[in-house]
Amino acid sequence: MKKYFLLRVMNIIITLFIIATATFFLMKQLPGSPFDEERLSNLSDDQRIEFLSRYGLDQPLSQQYIIYMKNLVTGDFGESFYFKGQEVADLIKHRIGPSALLGAQAVVLGITIGIVLGIIAAFRHNTIWDFSTMFIAVIGVSVPNFVFAALLQYYVGLKLGLLPVAFWESYSSSIMPTIALSLMVIALIARFTRNEMLEVLQQDYIITARAKGVPQFKVIYKHAIRNALIPVLTILGPIVVSLLTGSLVIENIFGVPGIGSLFVDSIKVNDYTTIMGLTLFYSAFFVLTMLIIDLLYGVIDPRIRINGAKE
Amino acid sequence: MRKSWSKWMMLLLFSVMVLLTGCNFGESSKPTEAEGDGKKAAEKEENGEKVLNLSLDNDIPDLNQLKTTDGISFSVLNNVMEGLYRLDENNEPQPAMAETYKMSDDGLTYTFTLKDDIKWSNGDAVTAENFKYSWLRAMHPDTAGSYASILTDYIKGGAEYAAGESKEDGVAIEVKDDKTLVVELIQPTPFFVDLTAFVTYFPLNKTFVEEKGNKFALTYDAILYNGPFVLTSYDQAQGVTMKRNEQYWDNDKVAIDKVNMKVIKEQSTALNLYEAGDLDKVYLASADVESYQDSSEFSSETEFRTYFIQFNLEKEPFTNENIRKAMQLAYDQQVLADVILNNGSKPAYGLIAEEMSGLDGKSFREIQGEIIKPNIEKAKELWAKGVEELGGTPQIELLTSDDTLSKDTGTFLQSEYKKNLGIDIKLVTQPFSGRLDTMRAGDYQVGVNRWGADYNDSMTYLDLWVEPSNPPFRGNYSNEKYDELVNTAKIEANNQVRIDKLLEAEKVLIEDGVIAPLYFDGLAFLQKPGVKGIVTHPYGASPDLKWAVID
Repeated sequence: MKKYFLLRVMNIIITLFIIATATFFLMKQLPGSPFDEERLSNLSDDQRIEFLSRYGLDQPLSQQYIIYMKNLVTGDFGESFYFKGQEVADLIKHRIGPSALLGAQAVVLGITIGIVLGIIAAFRHNTIWDFSTMFIAVIGVSVPNFVFAALLQYYVGLKLGLLPVAFWESYSSSIMPTIALSLMVIALIARFTRNEMLEVLQQDYIITARAKGVPQFKVIYKHAIRNALIPVLTILGPIVVSLLTGSLVIENIFGVPGIGSLFVDSIKVNDYTTIMGLTLFYSAFFVLTMLIIDLLYGVIDPRIRINGAKE
Repeated sequence: MRKSWSKWMMLLLFSVMVLLTGCNFGESSKPTEAEGDGKKAAEKEENGEKVLNLSLDNDIPDLNQLKTTDGISFSVLNNVMEGLYRLDENNEPQPAMAETYKMSDDGLTYTFTLKDDIKWSNGDAVTAENFKYSWLRAMHPDTAGSYASILTDYIKGGAEYAAGESKEDGVAIEVKDDKTLVVELIQPTPFFVDLTAFVTYFPLNKTFVEEKGNKFALTYDAILYNGPFVLTSYDQAQGVTMKRNEQYWDNDKVAIDKVNMKVIKEQSTALNLYEAGDLDKVYLASADVESYQDSSEFSSETEFRTYFIQFNLEKEPFTNENIRKAMQLAYDQQVLADVILNNGSKPAYGLIAEEMSGLDGKSFREIQGEIIKPNIEKAKELWAKGVEELGGTPQIELLTSDDTLSKDTGTFLQSEYKKNLGIDIKLVTQPFSGRLDTMRAGDYQVGVNRWGADYNDSMTYLDLWVEPSNPPFRGNYSNEKYDELVNTAKIEANNQVRIDKLLEAEKVLIEDGVIAPLYFDGLAFLQKPGVKGIVTHPYGASPDLKWAVID
């Protein structure tokens, strides 16, 4: 177990290193610089280079890369080019709160409703319950969440005035974005759970349990769900990561001061340090989540205990 | 087993709770303002306070006046800081920190006398030294601000200082006493007083700035204010709140007690907020204009920003003057502005933006009139002549940026040229900075470019084509007559002679077929009926809320 863990950590470090390197060089291929390009276009090439040299951007790429990596190892993500004077680390710390809150709420809400719907659909297979649940699921997958968000905002926020239209002022501001974000999760989880449940319900041990006269609830809770949830766990990783790290569209629509729009905006304005900081943050978060999920397999299903796969 | 799996669920729920508590909602979640939630319209009169609610269309990048370069930061700073002068609703400079100024006969030396009762928000007096300190800091090579040129282009010795070639005493800014500031300019600059209203010209309190060090202007309490308002909260992603500045010299004239400027990036959201009464003014997307243009709350404003076609005079077929002139005449600006863009933009029949100052209260455009109007017959004739000279119909690629309005403009031009000249031009779209790169490299035949004015004078445009430091970007244009007109206008102390030269220069530029004007940028907006006096300027720092009123 210990050895496995160490190996995984090594793996993570190498992965992050490769991601940082690739992003660094790809990002520098973007046209332009982090400065007001319209104004810089009035300068001659010499003047331009002179200006960029004040920010160390005139040096050869390899040199810039070495400097960046050196700073990175000491935990220094540098200062943002666009939000002048701001440390990238502070920027991320400051913006992640609202995004993580929305993401976490959406994940909890989505999983809970999704699993319940999935189970209902499986147990009432081929009934009206099944069909209506799957109808909701299809809608959830096919209607983009920004359409849903815009509808929510217009009707619930503006017409009915039940919740704030936008802004980030009190807890009620987080309700509509959470619902909009969770729609997709509900749909995905419900479909997945239903399919897995249907398969599990065919298994011999379920038939055995039923033959023993175990009550329906116990069959579901003790025998069926746990086994059905293993594949669900697999798709959960990417969902959690993408939700917790913010959604550009939903955040823009509801005026949430989150991290989602920061990434896209930083690419638009060539804010190199912020692009790097966010990429590394996302990647680290992703690989760590995957590690946790792998460990969780063992908790849910003793058959996949890590040291069981010794050979 | 059952225990452990419920334990995981508990853990998950618990971590959500932790997240919840650690999450920072905006200022308004503070108990004192909590009742504002969802009924902002009613809040306007709460406690007899006049509250103005506005939106910003993106994050606030930087409130450090020395380095900041973007309109959003300007729109905040303009209301919490003040320069020697402040622009009024007609874009005329009015005395602000300064009481008056004297200009020497050669137009080169300005002596500003400061008001007596001007104070920083902490009670310190604003002195002439504060201006000198701030201007020198803005020009300092280490500051490396993109806007340093708005000082160094005018102040004697500034450019050398900014290049690190001279010391502070080489810059011709002199503090005679606490209330007297003397500045010497490189050349006569009729708009210099206007410039002192701009963000980069605002004063700074040295003691305060040095005390804050590299934390300066990162939070609302790390800025010292001298304008009509002070910030009471500042979050780059959420916006700012302001309240009136009790120390402001003209505080009696300020009618608004509190201002909220919230970041709302999505235009449709801003519109919903406006409808819900949470915003007092909202800018409209082209698509929304039609449904609101009959409303009494609808209005529009223009910017000093001209969009134009830039021909590359070194690339075939635009080496040929007839081809360029044909393409200047073969589209209808009116249709582009009113039908395609439909956002308050105005058709451009010249390069210099409408309402830009000319002479003696008349605008440049009023004096000059329309230089170029669509003329299909003539265009066809010129085109035929050009094709003959070239010996064949040329292939043309038009370069535009890839945002919606630019692409629409491109498509419009494509269809106009098809209809009027019978030619098929190809459109090439690139991201904004990619387009600039391509144009700088001279790797284009013809492209749509734009320029937004830095100050209220036609020189801001016309100077661009004078021996440009990057010729391909300006179409590789070179005409001695043009250069001489603009260069002699620069040093001309007689304003009548000066404007005549500039008027002539604009004509030459268009007659040579270097550019073809498209439209002057405009913005359509809705404003609540009781709200008046929000002054916007077509350039520089805008809006100005000093004179805003809520009935």
